[in-house]
Amino acid sequence: MSEVTQNTYWKSLNELAQNKEYKNFVEREFPENATELTDGVSRKGFLRVMGASIALAGFAACRRPVQKILPYSNQPEDIVPGIPLFYATAMPFQGSLTGLVVENHEGRPTKVEGNDLHPGSWGNTNAYHQATILEMYDPDRSRSPLRNGEKATIQDFVAFAKNYFTDRNKRIAFISEANSSPTYTTLKQSALRKFSNAKWVTYEPFGEDNAIEGNRIAFGSRLRTHYNYTNADVVVSLDDDFLSPTHPNNVEYAKQVTGRRKVTSNSDSMNRIYSIENGFTLTGAYADNRLRVKASEVEAFANALAATLSTRVNGLNAFRSVNNHFTGSDFITALADDLASHAGSSAVSIGFAHSSNSHAVVAAINTALNNNGSTVNYLQVPSFDNQNNKQAFADVVSGMKAGNFDAVVMIGTNPVYTTSADLDFAGALENVDEVIHFGTYKDESSKSASWHISRSHFLEAWGDGFSFGGARSVIQPQIQPLHDSLSEIELLSTIVNEDLVSGYELVQNTFKGYYSGSGFENRWKDILHDGVDVKEVYRKATVSLRTVTPSQTTSIDGIEVVIRPDASIYDGRFANLGWLQELPDPMTKITWDNVALMSPATATSLGVENEGLVNVAVNGKSITIAAWIQPGHADDSITLNVGYGREGIGRVADKGIESSQLFDPSENYGGVNIYPLHTSLFASGAVSVTKGTYKIACVQDHHSLEGRDMYRQATLEKYKNTPEYASFAYVHKYAVPGMKEAAELGEDQPISLFDEQTYSADEPQWGMAIDLNSCFGCGVCVIACQSENNIPVIGKREVSRGREMHWIRNDRYYMGDEHNPQAVHQPVPCMHCELAPCEQVCPVAATTHSDDGMNQMTYNRCIGTRYCANNCPFKVRRFNFFNYPKEYLTSGEDPDIIQMAMNPEVTVRFRGVMEKCTYCVQRVNRAKIDSKIKTKSPKPADGSVVTACQQACPADAIYFGDLTDNNSVVAKMKHNERNYLMLEELNVRPRTSYIAKLTNPNPVLVDETNQEPAH
Amino acid sequence: MSTAKTQTIETSELYGILAEFKNPRALIDASKIVVEAGYDKFDTYAPFPIHGIDKAMNLPKSKLGWIVLTTGTMGFLGALSMMYFMSVMDYPLNISGKPFFNAPAWVPVTFELTVLLSAFGAVFGMFFLNGLPKLHNPLFNVERFKKATDDGFFVCIEAKDSKFQADLVRQLFEEAGATHIEEVYD
Amino acid sequence: MSKYEYVPEPALVKGNHDFASITKLVTDVNLRPTPKLWYLFMLIANALLGVFLFAVGYLIWEGTGVWGLMNPVGWGWAIINFVWWVGIGHAGTLISAILFLFRQDWRTAINRFAEAMTIFAVICALMFPGIHVGRIWVIYWVFPIPNQMAMWPNFNSPLLWDVFAVSTYFTVSLLFWYVGLVPDLATLRDKATDKIRKIAYGIGALGWTGSNRAWWNYEKAYMILAGLATPLVLSVHTIVSFDFAVSMIPGWHTTIFPPYFVAGAVFSGFAMVLTLMLITRKVYGMEDIMTNDHMEKMNIIILVTGSMVGFAYIMEFFIAWYSGVEYEKAIFMLRATGPYWWAYWTMMLCNVISPQVFWFKKLRRHVGFTFFISIVVNIGMWFERFVITVTSLANDYLPSSWGYFSPTIWDVLTYVGTFGIFFTLFLAFLRFLPMIAIAEIKAVLPQADPHNYDENHEYHPHIVEVPKPKVEKV
Repeated sequence: MSEVTQNTYWKSLNELAQNKEYKNFVEREFPENATELTDGVSRKGFLRVMGASIALAGFAACRRPVQKILPYSNQPEDIVPGIPLFYATAMPFQGSLTGLVVENHEGRPTKVEGNDLHPGSWGNTNAYHQATILEMYDPDRSRSPLRNGEKATIQDFVAFAKNYFTDRNKRIAFISEANSSPTYTTLKQSALRKFSNAKWVTYEPFGEDNAIEGNRIAFGSRLRTHYNYTNADVVVSLDDDFLSPTHPNNVEYAKQVTGRRKVTSNSDSMNRIYSIENGFTLTGAYADNRLRVKASEVEAFANALAATLSTRVNGLNAFRSVNNHFTGSDFITALADDLASHAGSSAVSIGFAHSSNSHAVVAAINTALNNNGSTVNYLQVPSFDNQNNKQAFADVVSGMKAGNFDAVVMIGTNPVYTTSADLDFAGALENVDEVIHFGTYKDESSKSASWHISRSHFLEAWGDGFSFGGARSVIQPQIQPLHDSLSEIELLSTIVNEDLVSGYELVQNTFKGYYSGSGFENRWKDILHDGVDVKEVYRKATVSLRTVTPSQTTSIDGIEVVIRPDASIYDGRFANLGWLQELPDPMTKITWDNVALMSPATATSLGVENEGLVNVAVNGKSITIAAWIQPGHADDSITLNVGYGREGIGRVADKGIESSQLFDPSENYGGVNIYPLHTSLFASGAVSVTKGTYKIACVQDHHSLEGRDMYRQATLEKYKNTPEYASFAYVHKYAVPGMKEAAELGEDQPISLFDEQTYSADEPQWGMAIDLNSCFGCGVCVIACQSENNIPVIGKREVSRGREMHWIRNDRYYMGDEHNPQAVHQPVPCMHCELAPCEQVCPVAATTHSDDGMNQMTYNRCIGTRYCANNCPFKVRRFNFFNYPKEYLTSGEDPDIIQMAMNPEVTVRFRGVMEKCTYCVQRVNRAKIDSKIKTKSPKPADGSVVTACQQACPADAIYFGDLTDNNSVVAKMKHNERNYLMLEELNVRPRTSYIAKLTNPNPVLVDETNQEPAH
Repeated sequence: MSTAKTQTIETSELYGILAEFKNPRALIDASKIVVEAGYDKFDTYAPFPIHGIDKAMNLPKSKLGWIVLTTGTMGFLGALSMMYFMSVMDYPLNISGKPFFNAPAWVPVTFELTVLLSAFGAVFGMFFLNGLPKLHNPLFNVERFKKATDDGFFVCIEAKDSKFQADLVRQLFEEAGATHIEEVYD
Repeated sequence: MSKYEYVPEPALVKGNHDFASITKLVTDVNLRPTPKLWYLFMLIANALLGVFLFAVGYLIWEGTGVWGLMNPVGWGWAIINFVWWVGIGHAGTLISAILFLFRQDWRTAINRFAEAMTIFAVICALMFPGIHVGRIWVIYWVFPIPNQMAMWPNFNSPLLWDVFAVSTYFTVSLLFWYVGLVPDLATLRDKATDKIRKIAYGIGALGWTGSNRAWWNYEKAYMILAGLATPLVLSVHTIVSFDFAVSMIPGWHTTIFPPYFVAGAVFSGFAMVLTLMLITRKVYGMEDIMTNDHMEKMNIIILVTGSMVGFAYIMEFFIAWYSGVEYEKAIFMLRATGPYWWAYWTMMLCNVISPQVFWFKKLRRHVGFTFFISIVVNIGMWFERFVITVTSLANDYLPSSWGYFSPTIWDVLTYVGTFGIFFTLFLAFLRFLPMIAIAEIKAVLPQADPHNYDENHEYHPHIVEVPKPKVEKV
């Protein structure tokens, strides 16, 4: 039976058929988990995709916003077809904004970049920002409001609001996400004024509540701690993974921290990072000195640190008495000495989730070290509620249970999913007559809601807000709402004003408040154009420390269970984004699932292997999940990531059984819901091994370098004495084979049997250098590349078969002791070898070299022998084993809006062809054309070609440019003595090279964290 | 058979005279005699190549070698010029930075095409020299001649031969010890 | 008298056959009505052929992904099977060409049959390069055919050399085989009684009369073809080995491959010939022609080539160590002790250890035992190709991209299916074509030698038998 009839048939039964077949059908039908690949792949289907996408370009063009918005770069008379326009906007996340610039093709947003002018971005992004474009086009987004589960319209809701919210005595509980928007804050206040019996709580399962509360304890007022790592020579992270995208300010922090590690000569200095943590985080992997302790001991460590410091600096006398098993240890002594000698230029931070008291301790330490004002600032954030939200939320829930509320309004939160089981939030909702849920997806909470209001994506609606550091921006829509939806300010104003006011009006009113009179109009244009208004609005509080006493720490004897947000899908809000689901976890390299991370020792004592099932129980509640061994994890500690095990959210997020390919066993996917166990960061738990295994799709099977020299590094000390430490000759104790002979001939490349092709001087020669000293392995480059180059999502089974399609991958190696190793990250794109091994073996010359020195794939010539992939020493070539794009881009709906996320400048590859990194050839050629028009020369000015991965990287680890221009940044980097080629002895002459890593461990501790270059 | 024969007598003229001999040695001797008698439009037939019969029939050296040499050379030059045209003249591509005229890489293809065309030369040249395929042959009218591919050894002197005189030929064959003699009609 | 005694070759054909009886023995197979058993075998073969067509159909419909291929293992069973079948396809031409040049008359008993096997094996092999590509419908782009892209194939690619090598090998083997068939088809034409056979064989025979003028050119052509096929047969597997040797993957990039592949090919080829010969001669009662002497000679060749292959295996290890290249060292250690150790040791056992038993004459001449070993050898040779293809790719330069290949059911079905192709063709051959080169066999009968006759044309063969070796004290 043809697909079409199938669709209509099932669609008509949509509501009725909640049976297994229907679920399977849905899974089959829905591409993102790529179970599809087993169904008949017809070329007709493929052509339909192409046809549809052409149609959609037009469909997109007529959806341009009505309000006047201004292009970021240059304002055209009108849209020139094929020439993208760039508009500024900003992404709200965790109560702060990151400034973005969005590439629009014919009024269709296709790619997100950072905003150079925005302090939360400085032109860079993280994986969430990159993937948000997919969220907007997610076919599973809530497309309309629901009234008691029935499809309704926004008008219906407005009508409802008009009569329901007239009663000012309504007892309403507002449960809101953290939101920095001034407009939103104003509306919040007016709501509280209007409804005297209303309660407002901000609920974020992994929010900064404890940090704020900690500052209240320390300084008496609710403040945000904002670090300035640019001034920090010593950075101490107490289980604070500020480099991970899960931190609302990771882009700025990453930029600051890595900025202090840009070493160009052996006279340069570097900051030193200490990390104290239980799991292996990005920050821990990037740290120079890492101490693995149970999460439950981090607070004790903080106290001990304060105690040790108390003898070195003033203001910590309260801690003199503290004496636990950390005090006196080499690590803490060395750390304290280092901090004391860098008073005023050090920064100590502790993870949000740790107790408010420990935050107070850290505040005390920073104050004692005179860091306040230089590396640490305390900001007054208007949007903060004047209450301890953790407590307030608990009160509201018990109030609901007691029936003290007529209505609950959940704004952008999903408490039914994100609260622990013993809170029984769903149960509490039953005692409330009017449950209004406002969200992007029809999620767990909307199921038990009497009203579900579909939320406009921030790229669709007007808004405003502040960056983490307090820079004010306007959120500028890129396209009209795709569905019948409201923005959060529109929703709130509807409730307050009992009528729908457009977001545009609301935001403008707010800003008219800042700029009164005629000046507003011009200012407004500038704000929209720049994407940022004022850089520092939040006032820095002048704080004076109250007496902070050591917190009472309770150490967990047995096994502790630590629960954290997931690096890929955070608290679950990104669970339906295929890109993020398939983005390998930065440390474990696992896709599509969550696991129970444990140290090798713990695994041995439990008697469990990777993928073996374990039962994790925390105060009565238990879950069963696959175990995964994480070298470097603290012993007797289990780390679980939330966000998985969803039901009825969408095709990507939902867990279930994949419709199995003929003769293949079906596999579980979708992960496990951890929230039932989640009361606090850590809790004492019981772990037992249960029968069975669970297939995990991990993209890297082998974690040791095998003593090979792909990754080269040295300590800063060593670098000072032996600047050539990264050279082949130094690593191997002999010169690159063929180099001596070459020298005799006066050549600078190892000799070859052939007289190689030469490149014409008037063409640019592209090259890339990747600074391993900056890269901390977040993986944003992977998503940026996926977004730029239309790389399909292929699903768990295909990934577990080792068929991942990412053009740039991030290799992670462990070095040294298995129990406490060093972890390093190495991004590997195509090396664009000048003597490319892949080219000569292709029988049909489908991959060849361009005049500007790029190794090119000719998709429509490729017949798919895969010989090139075999012969690639770097294994960067990716093969379309199935018709992935079809599976990924067709959901069976019409129109297939997900196709609007595709970049029109990049071919969608068909089944059976090879693909790989192109150095973003579409960007290169656009720049070459522009430069030809402007300067008659095909050589663009340095910096005018930026690859997607380079542009996204918050660490600026990737350099790209013209090697014929000796002044280009990349050329300079390649002349640096730390520059080295991977597999140089093969003489394939890669155009992509690496800048060897440097570490700056505390000399006193150098034995504990022994870091020798690999060879 | 007899009917067949009478019929052929009426309709067709004499093609030659066919004599059967009892074994390879006899055939060799017979062909020597025939050659001495100065016949040249004759041939001998055997189910397998007989050692030394070429001398006995004093056959000229086969020209096949020359044919193979020609076609082989064509293959060799053809291959080289094809690759030169394709990779150097018509559509040169920078492949692994290798020179367009990448002689070492061309050896296998050149070798293969040389062998291929030589083989064609050898096979079709042989067919040509033997006048094959030839689906009609007067000898097939002789029922007994079927033995030629089984265990029969024949000599046939054609009527075309300048010296041909039926009775003399018969006499010659009898003296040579033929076990069976008969006319072949076309 | 001399210390040594002339020990003549044992008679190539046992039993007292004359020309006519040979003709009858061979042609009867084709002319007598089809035996029931043949239909049964054909049915099984066709079933397997069906499996092949289904597996390939599914492959083309779904995409290469139905196989177990992945990063980094881009080549799996398809290439293994290709190399394996081509290897088997070496025996025929080797027997008919090289043994012909060396005047090894015993080849005549088996060459027809071995050549047929060669051609069918090469047909099976040729299936794989065709279907293993991602876009099967444009496979013709590997041929230098003018096309809308105005592009030509890449003559630097070993894969392209393969295209020429294997297709040339196939064509030449086919011609060689046909040339040999012509006189025998003439025999069948003359023996055939029913019209259809007369016409069919008649066309095939091209009007061959057995004229000695024709035989004269014929022998010349045969000699030249043998001369051409000899380097060709050596070149084919050499070039197949280039697919690996010319690449830069550790374990592939090695100069020992050409000789080692050719030896392996002869090894597996002879094993396959034996497997088929031992069955066929039993079923069709050809023991007189395909004698145990033949079997012994072939076993000796298997012993020799098997040891050569074993030598190559050990040499690889030595060179890996001697070269000092860490990646080479690593891959060979991983082969023997890594995740694929089982494949490696299966290969060692089957290819190196098992043939050594043929040092013993008793076993060389033992039919059942030979049959067993011939199967073992072909299993071993399949594993050799598996070890070479998969293990090298699975663990190459960057440890981060190491992976483990495991096949799917479709890999297996496709492979099993090729036996359907092979046996369908082979059974058809046995049924409709002379499985033994009649003319050539006759030529090696003592009766064929003019010197065995006196001047009165009387037959005086000298008695040929293997005498007990006499040891004389001096």
